[in-house]
Amino acid sequence: MAGTGHAQLRDRDDVLLRVKDLVVQFPAGRKRVVHAVSAVTFDVVEGETLGIVGESGCGKSTVARAIIRLVDITGGEVLYEGRDLAGLEGEELRRVRPRLQMIFQDPISSLNPRRRVRDVIAEGLAVWGDDIGSWSRDRIDELMDAVGVEARYGARRPHEFSGGQCQRIGIARALALDPKVLICDEPVSALDVSIQAQILNLLQDMKRRYGLTVLFISHDLSVVKNVSDRIVVMYLGKVCEIGSTAEIYSHPAHPYTRALLASIPEPAPTVDVSEGDIGDELPSATDPPSGCRFHTRCPRATGICSEVEPVSEQVGGADHYVACHHPVPVEISAR
Amino acid sequence: MAEQVAAGVPLLSVRDLHVQFPTERGTVNAVNGVSFDLYEGKTLAIVGESGSGKSVTAKTLMNLLPRTARVSGEVTYDGKDVRALAAEKVKHFFGVQMTMVFQDPMTSLNPVKKVGEQIAETLRYHLGRSRGDALEEAEELLNVVGIPEPGRRVSQYPHELSGGLRQRVVIAMALACQPRLLIADEPTTAVDVTVQKHLLDLLDELRRDRGMSMILITHDLGVAHGRADDVAVMYAGRVVETADARTLFFDMRHPYTEALLRSIPRIDDPVHHRLDPIPGRPPELVDPPDACAFAPRCIYAQADCLGGVPELSGLVGLHRFACLHPTGTERGMAAMSANRAAGVTAAGLPVAGSGGGSG
Amino acid sequence: MNGEDQATPKPRASRDQRASRQRLLWRFRILRLVRPTRVPDDGPTGDEDTVRRRLGPAFWLAVVWLSIMAFVAVFAPLLPIADPTKVAYSGPRESPSFDAWFGTDALGRDVFARTMYGARISLAVGGFAIVFGMAVGGALGIVAGYFRGRLDQAVGFLFFVLLSFPALVLAILITATLERSLLVVSLTIGILSVAPVGLLARASTLVYAEREFVAAARVLGARHGRIIVRELLPNVVIPMGALTLLGMAIAVVAEGSLAFLGLSVAGDDAISWGKMIVDGAGLRDLQNATHVAMFPVVVMFVTVLSLNFAGDRIRQYFDVKELAF
Repeated sequence: MAGTGHAQLRDRDDVLLRVKDLVVQFPAGRKRVVHAVSAVTFDVVEGETLGIVGESGCGKSTVARAIIRLVDITGGEVLYEGRDLAGLEGEELRRVRPRLQMIFQDPISSLNPRRRVRDVIAEGLAVWGDDIGSWSRDRIDELMDAVGVEARYGARRPHEFSGGQCQRIGIARALALDPKVLICDEPVSALDVSIQAQILNLLQDMKRRYGLTVLFISHDLSVVKNVSDRIVVMYLGKVCEIGSTAEIYSHPAHPYTRALLASIPEPAPTVDVSEGDIGDELPSATDPPSGCRFHTRCPRATGICSEVEPVSEQVGGADHYVACHHPVPVEISAR
Repeated sequence: MAEQVAAGVPLLSVRDLHVQFPTERGTVNAVNGVSFDLYEGKTLAIVGESGSGKSVTAKTLMNLLPRTARVSGEVTYDGKDVRALAAEKVKHFFGVQMTMVFQDPMTSLNPVKKVGEQIAETLRYHLGRSRGDALEEAEELLNVVGIPEPGRRVSQYPHELSGGLRQRVVIAMALACQPRLLIADEPTTAVDVTVQKHLLDLLDELRRDRGMSMILITHDLGVAHGRADDVAVMYAGRVVETADARTLFFDMRHPYTEALLRSIPRIDDPVHHRLDPIPGRPPELVDPPDACAFAPRCIYAQADCLGGVPELSGLVGLHRFACLHPTGTERGMAAMSANRAAGVTAAGLPVAGSGGGSG
Repeated sequence: MNGEDQATPKPRASRDQRASRQRLLWRFRILRLVRPTRVPDDGPTGDEDTVRRRLGPAFWLAVVWLSIMAFVAVFAPLLPIADPTKVAYSGPRESPSFDAWFGTDALGRDVFARTMYGARISLAVGGFAIVFGMAVGGALGIVAGYFRGRLDQAVGFLFFVLLSFPALVLAILITATLERSLLVVSLTIGILSVAPVGLLARASTLVYAEREFVAAARVLGARHGRIIVRELLPNVVIPMGALTLLGMAIAVVAEGSLAFLGLSVAGDDAISWGKMIVDGAGLRDLQNATHVAMFPVVVMFVTVLSLNFAGDRIRQYFDVKELAF
């Protein structure tokens, strides 16, 4: 899977976030490193929802955490409104933080069990109280109302709420500072099926209401399809395929994307179920395969795949980029 | 495919199973009168959310509940009373005839023992194999479950294997004694989709080849759809609807089944498709009111739904559902339009006005 | 307002308290069942979940004893107790009698009065030492656990030095160099408790610092100080607090050990159980007047036992709820 390359970057004025050649490595002892994210490039325009999809170990969460500077960036750029977040430290970094907020996977772990939910939601305002104008109780009430948690329960502690309610509280906390970018890291995967839809709808509503740009990370292809305008498919720290949601789902070109679509319990009609047979073994991220990182499991791999890393190229003339030596040709679009 | 009533004797038959747990907060009614039959060679999927009682049901079958649990009801396996077997501490039944695979493979694996030894141990204990034979058979079993290089894997420790391989080892262990019934409790929830497909394929294949029966416990309707002959949907400790998979997914009667299917995003839905969530949240299992547990979240709810728990209709083996105003029937339509007109259900749930036909 | 309301508040309050505690327990059980990896779990799973947790009557017995000791320690001069430094009329080494309940010591002083007054220094040393250990060790442990890296290594090194340094040698060094005042003795024992307390604080900080609410606070732009005080401290204090009583028990014993070396608080009017035991532990006294050493020993033993027992129950009680997940 390859790939590097910048073909997928768009030359538009409204690009809000541009991630270029992002590299994140973690020490793994004995001078070895985990190549969690390797030269990942993509951009997000204002008001867009970008979905990042992939299996565990593909680096999707690390990308999110690197953008928001919860993990250290080893190399590359994260340009937010033209400013490189990767180089910011200390107070400078702190000052941009309110612009980019995050919603976490585990709604219960992401709330401090010893604080009242109203204080949890107000934390951002309390931190910035002096710097960001005058905030009032109304703001908290409004937020609680917006996310569907009754304001009269504000004095309770997180353990008195269900998982879905806790996730709503987490959303309210993230929105309190009026961020531009909301990063959602698997926001519904810890929730019950019947609650997932509530939270997904809420995120859509909040996006519209507060004019958010959203980065949505998930392993669930159906969920990502539902929320995203554009999608990045990742494998083992690399980008495989980027494109508009409709393109990716109707003409998946990368063998890995196709394998994912063929593996879900009710496979997408655009792929053959047999394409999901790619073996169980994810190669080690401390010693990733040479060339295209997917070649060890790829049904279409040839000699070149283990030697040369593919560079992303546009396919089908649409908003669709693939980093693969042997992409599945995109047929003439039906529509 | 259409299942006929009582074609022969079922392998496993559960009647009116109740499970209660005393807790500090009161008695939790985890399972409230579950009945089903499972025939030889079939797969039954039990679908439900957290707290629906699906896992507790499975654990009851396997006699894995804590001692404080209060169980009543009948569980018959191949003509034998399973609960009596459990009470007599019969050896070589649980784990031999009937066996279970858990969500987290590490539940069943000993982290400090080589996987080959662990499988061999099962063989030696239950089937009295010699050490050498058992180890050989363990390697063969690893081969059967599709583990590459079984010769090398037998002498590895669980932590050296990926999640998918671990789950395969657990399946190999479960198969060791040629069980006739395999209970798989969320076997693929902790693994990635590509691995999930392989594991489900494997279970399917093993079931076919060995004529095993399987109970597949899952919260994932998609998994149940593709892999089960029959499906039972559980809610608040009860089976609310059960039928063959086709009927259940395409001609469901219970509003919960319908709402659940409608609330999940699907791969063939258009982008930004507005989801139809189920309002509210699952009910408490302590002191449940004497009413349909789903009524507070149900857009069909009428006054009679609040007057008692509806019974499952019809005979075991047929399409059964516990609803007074089933969806797709005249009663259901009437209930829905009445609620639409009133703007609120009998349980106080607001309903959008007389909008679209199927909303 | 009416008679019924006035008659019922007590049982009602306790029932409410119980209900709220049960609710709390239940919630924490839920927390324990929810794993980060989407695990829709069904119902209670283990035996320990359904067994009701109680502190038990023995715990309350211990609490009663400790309360009496604390009360005596604080109000000794106001209570009708003989002067512990005054030589009684009855003479030295008198056996216990109605006048002197615990008898008199080699100088004819009332052993009962001295034992009661002894609680003052013994408990003060124990209490102060553990408070000092909590404050210093806790602060170091939290800071080390939160920042990790170099700072953690430095603090960790300090803790290991403190732990490997022979405690008695350190104590002798300090008390021999400085005056043997109450403050110095308490401080000595306090310093010795810094490392164990600090390691505990560090360990539980490491656990909580991994939780996503800490990441969330960072993302919101909270400074380190705020994260430590608002997010970590309230969580770390609980397991530490549960260990307070255990630590105090150790400190009380430590004072006794120092006394044996003649290194406890100096001065004739500074009475501690340790010093009394030493006084009564001469060969002649042990043979002829066992009571002189025995009463302080018994009181100290029961006190330390109570501290240990109550501390352990509290630790268990909180362990399950707070540290399990």
